[in-house]
Amino acid sequence: MTDTTDIVDRIAMGLSGALFLLGIVVLGLVELVAGKPYSPAPLTNDAGEVIATPLIDPTIRTGLVIAAILVLALWGLYKVATPYAGGTATRRETAATE
Amino acid sequence: MSTQAANPLATEFELELDKPLTAYWIAILRVLTGWWFFHSGVTKLIEDGLAYSYGPAYMQQMTGTALGPIPVWMGNNLAWLIAPGVPLFETLIGLALMAGLLTRLASVGGVFFMTLFWIGNAEFGHGVVNSDLMGLLLFVTVLVLGAGRYYGLDAIVEKMQFVKQNPKLRYILG
Repeated sequence: MTDTTDIVDRIAMGLSGALFLLGIVVLGLVELVAGKPYSPAPLTNDAGEVIATPLIDPTIRTGLVIAAILVLALWGLYKVATPYAGGTATRRETAATE
Repeated sequence: MSTQAANPLATEFELELDKPLTAYWIAILRVLTGWWFFHSGVTKLIEDGLAYSYGPAYMQQMTGTALGPIPVWMGNNLAWLIAPGVPLFETLIGLALMAGLLTRLASVGGVFFMTLFWIGNAEFGHGVVNSDLMGLLLFVTVLVLGAGRYYGLDAIVEKMQFVKQNPKLRYILG
């Protein structure tokens, strides 16, 4: 089998992967270490008063994930716009139905 | 299979996941995800037809999100599309996934919907990884794996001559 990934593919996978991990895992750890609230939602008492707010605005974390998805979307558009590099048309991906 | 073991990502958009258990599970994943969206869409169609007015209203309240003014603008200016589009596209995405036809194209739609739901619902009380994000990841997984090729109609369509002549169609099939 031939590895057809090029530099654009590697950048797209690396960048989107980094954004996913930064938004979800890395900033999640930072929030955890910073103490309550451990989730990106304000903590309230029984009276409904906010007693603790998240260290990192969820807009930032969700924004990083959206950026990761946008990178993947742009990569998809790039693949559509450039010559097909997926190999022959008779591969074995249909084997499960055979 | 030794080649695959050495290089699980056989080619850029392909995985030779032809082991029976793997193929079975990819198909199950695809069909259940499809049913989830089909049920969501078809019940809206039954209740509200093509006039799902909650759709634009939902978008209009999406202020202060990572998407900036886009959802509110959409809610204000694209209500003519959103009201019929939400039930219709949810239903069609669900049907496409269950049948395994145009699976990747439908999955792109699913990712779009789930991104809006994840941001709009903003149910982060138990963390940002919630059921909305998991749904989003399911669609990405179905897309990446080309899940329609496993017991789905895309496996048949991709054997057709016009797909062989236009291999880029694999980007929306699969």
